[in-house]
Amino acid sequence: MKVRIIVAAAIATMLAVAASSASGGTVGLKAGKSITVWLQVDAQNSPDWLALTAATNAQFQKDHPGVSVNMQYQTWGAHLQKFDATLAGGNTPDVIELGNTEMTKYMAAGAFQDLTADKASFPNSSTWLAGLAASGKYNGKLYGVPYYAGSRLITYRTDQFKAAGASSSPTSLAQLTQGLSKLNAKYGSKKGYSPLYIAGTDWYYALSFVYDFGGSIAQQISGKWKGTLESPRAVAGLTAYKAFFNVASRASKTTDEAHPNPYDVYAQGLAGSIEGPGWFSCCVGKQYTPVTAQFVMPSHTKGSVMPGFLGGSDLAVPIGGDKALGEDWIRDYTSTSAMKAQQAMGNIPNTTSLFNPSNVHEKAASRSWFVPTSKNWVNVENGNVLRTMLAQILTGKLSVKQAAQTADANITFTLNQ
Amino acid sequence: MTGTTSQVPDAAGAFGSRRRRRAWDRAVRGSVPFWLILPVAVAMTAILAYPLYQLIVISFQKYGLFELIKHSGTWVGLDNYRFILHDPVFWDTLVRTIVFTVVNVALTIVFGTLIALLLVRISTFMRILLTAGLMLVWAMPPVVAVQVWYWMTNFQNGVLNYTLTQLGVGDYFQHDWYATPTSQLGMTTSLIVWGAIPFIVVAVYAGLAQVPDELVDAAEVDGARPWRVFLDVTFPILKPIFLILTSLSIVWDFGVFTQPFLLIGESHVNTSNYLMGVYLYEEGYAKSDFGRGAAISMLMLLMVAGLSFFYVRKMVRMESAS
Repeated sequence: MKVRIIVAAAIATMLAVAASSASGGTVGLKAGKSITVWLQVDAQNSPDWLALTAATNAQFQKDHPGVSVNMQYQTWGAHLQKFDATLAGGNTPDVIELGNTEMTKYMAAGAFQDLTADKASFPNSSTWLAGLAASGKYNGKLYGVPYYAGSRLITYRTDQFKAAGASSSPTSLAQLTQGLSKLNAKYGSKKGYSPLYIAGTDWYYALSFVYDFGGSIAQQISGKWKGTLESPRAVAGLTAYKAFFNVASRASKTTDEAHPNPYDVYAQGLAGSIEGPGWFSCCVGKQYTPVTAQFVMPSHTKGSVMPGFLGGSDLAVPIGGDKALGEDWIRDYTSTSAMKAQQAMGNIPNTTSLFNPSNVHEKAASRSWFVPTSKNWVNVENGNVLRTMLAQILTGKLSVKQAAQTADANITFTLNQ
Repeated sequence: MTGTTSQVPDAAGAFGSRRRRRAWDRAVRGSVPFWLILPVAVAMTAILAYPLYQLIVISFQKYGLFELIKHSGTWVGLDNYRFILHDPVFWDTLVRTIVFTVVNVALTIVFGTLIALLLVRISTFMRILLTAGLMLVWAMPPVVAVQVWYWMTNFQNGVLNYTLTQLGVGDYFQHDWYATPTSQLGMTTSLIVWGAIPFIVVAVYAGLAQVPDELVDAAEVDGARPWRVFLDVTFPILKPIFLILTSLSIVWDFGVFTQPFLLIGESHVNTSNYLMGVYLYEEGYAKSDFGRGAAISMLMLLMVAGLSFFYVRKMVRMESAS
């Protein structure tokens, strides 16, 4: 009898616990609706950017009472592997930021929801920056909303340029080279000093020479991709890059643009100028901030600017994400006021309607180039095909033509896989 | 008569019942080890056998990003294996990895043994100091070690370049230790050997305690020099330990990933410096070709299993001997 009572009590207790859990879960479900947003760490490292994200979330929650926003910041090195894992596990975020060169592979695989029908509902969609908007489209459909772009500029020491007699607004590559030679003559005796610090394998910068001379990385002919770096124009651009590097930089010919960070070299007083994203001016060190300014890299054609790599990001709604809420969050985050905030932070807004011709960032974006829009392009990047080619050229291991031919063979093979 | 005839079956029944009970008891006792091993077997099946089964399945499928999203691969038979075995990068990488493994294992064993022999000859205080230092090396996570190594060998501000220049070894100002595949793998070797030495030292030092002093003394009295004593007395006694250490080091170094990938750096990793672990990562994860990655994993697994054969056989023989 005692046993029966104990069993009955135990069952009653279990039922009570189960009932209370169930009711608690339902309430929690009603109150706990949330969306998950993946942004890159860049947005976390700047107070202004954090404020912009907070304002967006506040607006979103005002429009959607009871819906919370779970912000998760990802690093550039690991975010794709993490995203792949969520695709496999079926727990993708509702909004994701992807670099514009990373988009095609995922659009082609069907990782994002089709936003074409809602395009007009996104702020400034009729004036989106064409180069950036193209990276969010695949087979005529819209999968990614342009987020922001970044210009590439020359950040320089005004005091050194002035003292050496170098032009601070060079109108041609030849004039810039001349100025850098003057800097070298005046400050070159300092060990490790570069008139213009260029990491040898910084392909974002080096390939600008290729496009400036009318070349390209690859072209699609009859549905097949073909590497075009061995074309006479591309070879002319790569040859010009090698000659320019030898005058301008004493950086390692095999290193990349993050080892070391160019602005660290600058902050150590070992560079008269550095090339890279416009935001580099933020980190040149307190000592040199007052004597730092920026100009746009000039073309080899006098009076023109050199085409710069249009780096940037897009925002997409992954498959399995809440499309309606995800789109609404993106609308808030790419509103005109949000884009003005991006512009104030030194980024290029996603709309040309806000462009200011006198703004050095937007002047740089007036001529730009972008990587081939192949779903396999990211494999060319990950395989370091272009970096290897540049290292071979600068170290003299291969001639420009030989290195370009090797790279072309790799690019053609990879893009057509 | 009736009583007599009725007692015989009873006795036989009781006897049979006792036999059955004894058999049952024996069966229960005999099954105890299997019950005890069951939790481990279940856990191993869950964490090892099932993923391995999935790996084998995926290696016969086209399983890229598209299939990942669909949660379903397409059967392609041996295509993944065929592609890999016809890929010149695979064969170059395999040869490079074998050379890399031989160099790393040899250096680890040689330096580890030399330090172990040194430990026997130094004072207790120095032995404790050296052992503590070795333990710190052993305890350092590879990722941290890579960072420290990278700082030391940095092109711009590295202490190695500075020290070599100051010591007058040559002008190492802005010397790039990662300029060529050979130097990249050389730096990786230095890091791996540095990190693996403590284990070898501790194991060999423990083994040296088993070498009878009288044998060494006798050899020395007979005029044997230290090198000859080591070859003819110490080494034969430590041979089983060396065999096990070498087998384990081969398995570890053959599949190494963290050190080469992080030290050479993502932006420098290319087909001219791939090791098998990096090749697997690049083909499987970086290109999101999980089917091909699984096939490379299977091939590596077979190779490592082959390499482990000697280790396992030695262990079994030692168990049998004991």
